[in-house]
Amino acid sequence: MAKGKLLTPGRIMLLVIVLLLVVLGFFVEDWHQLWVISSTPDNVPIVAMIPLVIFFTWLGARQAAANDRLVEELEGDTQLAKTHHRKTTPWRPGWARELHVWPFLVRIEFLAAVIVTIILFVWSITLNAPLEEPANPNLTMNPSKAPWYFLGLQEMLVYFDPWIAGVVMPSLMMVGLMVFPYVDSNPLGNGYYAYRQRRFALWMFGLGWFTWLVLIFIGTFIRGPGWVWFWPGQRWDHNVVVNDRNVDLHDKFAGWTGLKFLSANPGKFIFGAIVVGTFFLLCGLFLHWLMLRPQFEWRRMFSWQYLKQWARSKGEFESKLLARTSILQYLTFQFFAITVLFALPAKLILRLAMNIKYVWVTPWFNI
Amino acid sequence: MADSPETDAIIKKEPEGPAPDPIVSRSTSGILLICALLLSAVLAWALYDEIYGQRPWKSMQQEFVKRENRLLRRLRQNAGKTEKEIKESPEYQQLAAEAKAERDKIAPRQKEIDARVKVIEDQLSSITDNYQNVRGAITVNYYEIETAHGKSEQDKIRQEIEESKQEKHAIEWPIGDGSGKVEKRQLNYMEMEQQYNGLKDEKARLLAERGELLKKPGELEKAREEYLKNNVTGLTTEQINSLLKRNESFNFSMRQVNVQGDTLVDRCETCHLGVREPLNITAADMRPVRDRRLRKADELSRAFVSHPNKELLTIHNPDRFGCSSCHGGNGRATTNEEKGHGRHRFWLHPLYERENMEAGCQQCHMSDRELLGANVLNLGKDLFQNRGCVGCHRYEGFDRESDALANARQSISQLEEQIAANEREAKQATEGVGQAANEDAVQKLLARSEYLRVTNSQLAARISQLETQSKYLMHDQKKVGPNLKDVRLKLRKEWIPIWLENPQAFRPGTKMPTYWRIDGKSMRSDEAGQREEMSREVNERKAIAAFLWQQGFDGKLPGMQAGDASHGKELFETRGCMACHSIGDKAQGTEVGGDFAANLTRVGEKASFDYIVRWIYNPRERWAPYCPKEKRDLTREDYEKKGLPFVFDTEHSTCPNDGAELQIQNMTVMPNFRLSESDSRDIATYLFSLSHRDSYPDASYMDDPALKEQGQNLVKQYGCAGCHEIRGFEEEQRIGKELTTEGSTPIERLDFAMLTHDAELGINPHSERREGEGEKFTDPQTGKVKPWYNHKGFFTNKLRDPSVYDKGKEKEPKDLLRMPQPFLKPEWNVALTTFLLGSKGLEGSNVPQSFFYRPDTRQKDIQDGWWVIKKYNCMGCHNVQVGQKSVLSGLPKYQDSDWKDQLPPQLTSEGARVDPDWLLRFLRDPSLSDSEGRPEPGRSDKTVGPTPGAQTNNYAEGTQKSGQTNQTNQTNGASQPAANAQPPSTPLAQRIEGHLKPQPGQDRNGVRTYLKARMPTFNFSPNELRTLVRFFMAVSSQPEIYIKEKQEPLSEEEKILARQLFTSRGAPCLKCHITGEAEHDKTASAPNFLLASERLKPSWTFRWLLDPQQISPGTAMPSGLFKLDGERWVFSGETPAGFANYHKDHADLLVRYMFQMTADEQRRLMSTSPAATGGQSPAPTEKETPAANQQVSRNYSRRNNARRRVMAAHRLAAARRAHARLQKPSRMHQRAKLARE
Repeated sequence: MAKGKLLTPGRIMLLVIVLLLVVLGFFVEDWHQLWVISSTPDNVPIVAMIPLVIFFTWLGARQAAANDRLVEELEGDTQLAKTHHRKTTPWRPGWARELHVWPFLVRIEFLAAVIVTIILFVWSITLNAPLEEPANPNLTMNPSKAPWYFLGLQEMLVYFDPWIAGVVMPSLMMVGLMVFPYVDSNPLGNGYYAYRQRRFALWMFGLGWFTWLVLIFIGTFIRGPGWVWFWPGQRWDHNVVVNDRNVDLHDKFAGWTGLKFLSANPGKFIFGAIVVGTFFLLCGLFLHWLMLRPQFEWRRMFSWQYLKQWARSKGEFESKLLARTSILQYLTFQFFAITVLFALPAKLILRLAMNIKYVWVTPWFNI
Repeated sequence: MADSPETDAIIKKEPEGPAPDPIVSRSTSGILLICALLLSAVLAWALYDEIYGQRPWKSMQQEFVKRENRLLRRLRQNAGKTEKEIKESPEYQQLAAEAKAERDKIAPRQKEIDARVKVIEDQLSSITDNYQNVRGAITVNYYEIETAHGKSEQDKIRQEIEESKQEKHAIEWPIGDGSGKVEKRQLNYMEMEQQYNGLKDEKARLLAERGELLKKPGELEKAREEYLKNNVTGLTTEQINSLLKRNESFNFSMRQVNVQGDTLVDRCETCHLGVREPLNITAADMRPVRDRRLRKADELSRAFVSHPNKELLTIHNPDRFGCSSCHGGNGRATTNEEKGHGRHRFWLHPLYERENMEAGCQQCHMSDRELLGANVLNLGKDLFQNRGCVGCHRYEGFDRESDALANARQSISQLEEQIAANEREAKQATEGVGQAANEDAVQKLLARSEYLRVTNSQLAARISQLETQSKYLMHDQKKVGPNLKDVRLKLRKEWIPIWLENPQAFRPGTKMPTYWRIDGKSMRSDEAGQREEMSREVNERKAIAAFLWQQGFDGKLPGMQAGDASHGKELFETRGCMACHSIGDKAQGTEVGGDFAANLTRVGEKASFDYIVRWIYNPRERWAPYCPKEKRDLTREDYEKKGLPFVFDTEHSTCPNDGAELQIQNMTVMPNFRLSESDSRDIATYLFSLSHRDSYPDASYMDDPALKEQGQNLVKQYGCAGCHEIRGFEEEQRIGKELTTEGSTPIERLDFAMLTHDAELGINPHSERREGEGEKFTDPQTGKVKPWYNHKGFFTNKLRDPSVYDKGKEKEPKDLLRMPQPFLKPEWNVALTTFLLGSKGLEGSNVPQSFFYRPDTRQKDIQDGWWVIKKYNCMGCHNVQVGQKSVLSGLPKYQDSDWKDQLPPQLTSEGARVDPDWLLRFLRDPSLSDSEGRPEPGRSDKTVGPTPGAQTNNYAEGTQKSGQTNQTNQTNGASQPAANAQPPSTPLAQRIEGHLKPQPGQDRNGVRTYLKARMPTFNFSPNELRTLVRFFMAVSSQPEIYIKEKQEPLSEEEKILARQLFTSRGAPCLKCHITGEAEHDKTASAPNFLLASERLKPSWTFRWLLDPQQISPGTAMPSGLFKLDGERWVFSGETPAGFANYHKDHADLLVRYMFQMTADEQRRLMSTSPAATGGQSPAPTEKETPAANQQVSRNYSRRNNARRRVMAAHRLAAARRAHARLQKPSRMHQRAKLARE
């Protein structure tokens, strides 16, 4: 960090967060409500998640940046690069080439275990398990919320049919995660924090991860009685009345264009298939284009010239990687990336912003 | 630990390198140390939390032991001390001084009052004899007029009355200046009466003032006694020592009660350690040990007190019932007060607040109408029924007749359907015989059809049973409000809209709630004026009035002359009207009387005099009968079409068109007082004299037929028919929510509407406020804000302002909450809230269902009986329960000792006293008239003529004209068969238009003819009669099957002996007991002996003779008439000579004699008795004979002498105490003493 510089990226971030909170404060009509949600023992992990995620993201980014610098140094030092095989991993002269598990790993793990134990102790002493109403088959609690780790899944139910949201999408996500090592043809960036060596993978994973966090956040703080959308700080009114009229995309389209056959059975099937197909095609092209881009220099992000140049040029490293990837690996990756990382947020936005119920209606499934 | 050589090699490889390996070179011991320390600290914390943090009761127990030890040590000082020593203590002295100072303060005024009362009493006694003599004579004269033949004779007697009224009497009038001087005065009857009444009134007023004065010192003295009681623990030193010893090695552990296995687990006593301590612990006793100066009880000291009602704990043993089954709360939780008390928002059974404590009783005692000790709950139930809540809200058990009737009707229709189906099947089977294949099949079919027909006859029998039941049920069905079919006959037209606008303004405290929306406000009052369309709602009131007016019966009432208001006032105050009704202005605090029924002060402003007279005369008489099958009121034409006279009463209660059971009585609980027509007129005149008629704005719109339909819809909307009979709404259902299980409604289902948030924050919804702010409810003790998002808050605020949950809602007027604003005092609100909180039903209850109070036969009889007793307000006149005070006994008039004798009898041991058969007959007709309506007190045969109900209702024809028919002159009553039912003694000529029908048993009390208050005819159905009789028998623990005791017949000598005893100077029985002779009865004040054999039980009579004071404290019957002589009771006074050789029991002899008394025998006695004509009073009984000292247990039996001896010994101590109490001589004795002096 440069000395004497007033605005470092970290400070800017901090400032932005504070400003956001202040602005939010103006819109909060009921602090008590906000406090009730945040202080519910159920929600403690999620409340804690917000600073923790920020902190660890920052920590990881810092570590990655440091390692990137080291790798750069190594690569710049031809002498060392020739004699030393560690050219692509962060290393410095004087550092051990290999470390023993004992004591170097175990002691850190032990430390972590102690810290976690302390946290668990304090947590369990100070916060009791929440007591809620007794189970009553005739009376569902309202809002009826899953535990925090399932809130993302529950929130997905708003956007998809239960079959899709509850079975298909989670399976795709999990299979996608399992497939990851097999479609990854990048030998670098394993076992240490690094950014440059896995830029694309990091961004893709970050997108999915962020989506999931957002879903949990929505489920916790936004969804009130009746699973109605309440902005943070808005009072959760049990008597709230909303009029959500969701329309299928083909109906909307038929309405715009006057093409009545789109609302009929084969018409809407074909329409939906085309829309989804197009979406996949466009997303595939976009991904293909994106994964071949060289590293983006954020410093020059406001320069139109640079942007144009960046969009046209190909990254050498990225091209190599693509060349190492088989077609099967490539298509598998494309499929999972598009369905999980693009289709899901796209549907979310369609539903929330445009009240679109389904995009593709078929007799067997609706998406 | 040595590193492996390889590692060493790596490290050593580049020793001088610029950057040592960050992992290898860095030491983690610092951070490890910190973490280890933290971990240890946290571990310690966890241990502390485990031992104390999660077990706060441990420190509470320690605190308890400390505080209790201090208390015990203090008590140990006093344990040996006598009462006297405690009285010398400074604390006691101070309390005593305070009480004395207060008493001294009021002493002058008290003395003044006492002096004045003394003077009044002297003056009264100077005229009483003369006045009562004349009054007695006049009463006799009246009776003679009534029974005289011929007008001339009557006139002659009237002349006599006039003369005796004018006759002057010499009175020695004490002038009352303390000198004891008297002046001679000449007064006639009228003047005496005026004096008499004036003095009585003044005396009553003074006595009331005296009572009020004595209240404050009384309270202080009570505090003084309380102190004494608390300090004289009743524990011996050893007992206290053993408690202290227990505390030394106190077992600091969880105290747990498992209710029914583990349905409920209560650990309440873990903290509330004092609950079952053998001594009485108050919060002041347990104040903090260190806090000597403040002497202030803290929260803990309130938690340590003993249970305030130990008696309840003996009935509901905590080992069996636990605590939370009655009190609510979470018995398992011990971590903090909030959880233990179940104040967590999700706990279904929070601890009931102090004022709602009795809600817990309701869970198990749901079917009890009256629960001893649960006064708040009882009040809640009374209100729910009497204030008309039940008109809109069904509640299981309340309004049981309507429910049962609906059930019966449904069963009947089901059975009828089944019969029809069976018949069809039987017919098919019979027809099928022709096509049957073989003999077997034929037999089968025939058997089947026969079986079906037999079944049908059984079903038909069941139907007829049910029909009888429905008849009774319909008879017993009552409504809270008056019959609105009669409005045209009863009310002033212009008054109706005024009343509808605000009933409370016209009659504060009335049962009629305020329909605020009718009052021209479509929205809540605080939002009035915000909406434009509300002006059209003004028409609602007009429309309802118009509908009711146009829907009412039309006709012409017999015209009535005004009567004598002062006589009416006397009647009103003495006949018992005030047990239910009140007079006076509530606002000015002059209201006197019961609140069971309306305040009648302003009745004259609204009603028609003719109607009120008719109503007082017989309130049950309906204007037209109602046929539930046709669902309409029958008219004269319906009867004429069938050639029947227009007569409806219990004898003529079937519909001429379809034979269905008719509704022939008004659905009011107001009974028939069997008043004469002139008395009814007098009372009405009195009531009308209390107010003067205002003129009201014109209401001609009420005849506008255009308003009728709107009115009808509104009447439906507001559920008016819940409390009133309204034409066309007889089958109307209740409009409100059923409340049987309201207390267990999940909180989410209670619609707080826009107030949910306010409720959670504790903001008072009734205050005027800006959005989101406002005055908050706070706890008076702690000053903390009290959120009211709970059941209690919902009920309380809803009752306070039923429209409160419409606040801020945007609704169409017809969708607004419909509940009107009832008149509720704050304590009524608490009572109703308590009642609702406890209404949990089977499922919602905290208590295992096996604990619910499901009484056996006898207890069930009591339970059922209370519903009837409460329904008719029997407790207005009678003390039904020990400790209960009737309304009458609380009236100023009856504070006077002379009037106390005029109180209706106590019924606390009625079942033991009377023969159930007789009781049944008496309740059916309290005048005990025979079939012709004449008094017949000594009738021994059991034949009862047509029920009196038949007669009291049998004058529907005559003057009245039904709704829509043209007027028919009904003077010719003789042409109708119904005239046969009229007492033949009534000359037909009297029944001209303008007179009411004769009243059977008119002006008669069946048993206590001397009472001014009259037991009215209630027209109970056989169901209710049976329930009541069973109730009284069960309350007195009488055997279920009653077998009359056989009496040993008297021999001739015994008869002679008994006669002698009966008329001896020591026992002048006939002096007080009435005989049926008018001359004698005017001074008599006890029942006729002729009634005894039918009415009383011999065993009870025997006990009664021995000691009446014990059975009925304060009775005029003298005690100690008999003394124990060996195994037998002998007369304690001067025994007639013949008894020397008589070795049997004297009391028994008298009982047998009494039970074989005949009218002839009585006459014979009268002629010989010196007492009957005013001889000496009974022998003084305060002689200190051992026998007189010996008290008699109620359980005494003449036949069990051995037992008697044992028990006499056992109860000697108790008897001594009781005797001391009785030392205060009864009035009778005082008189006797005076006479001797």
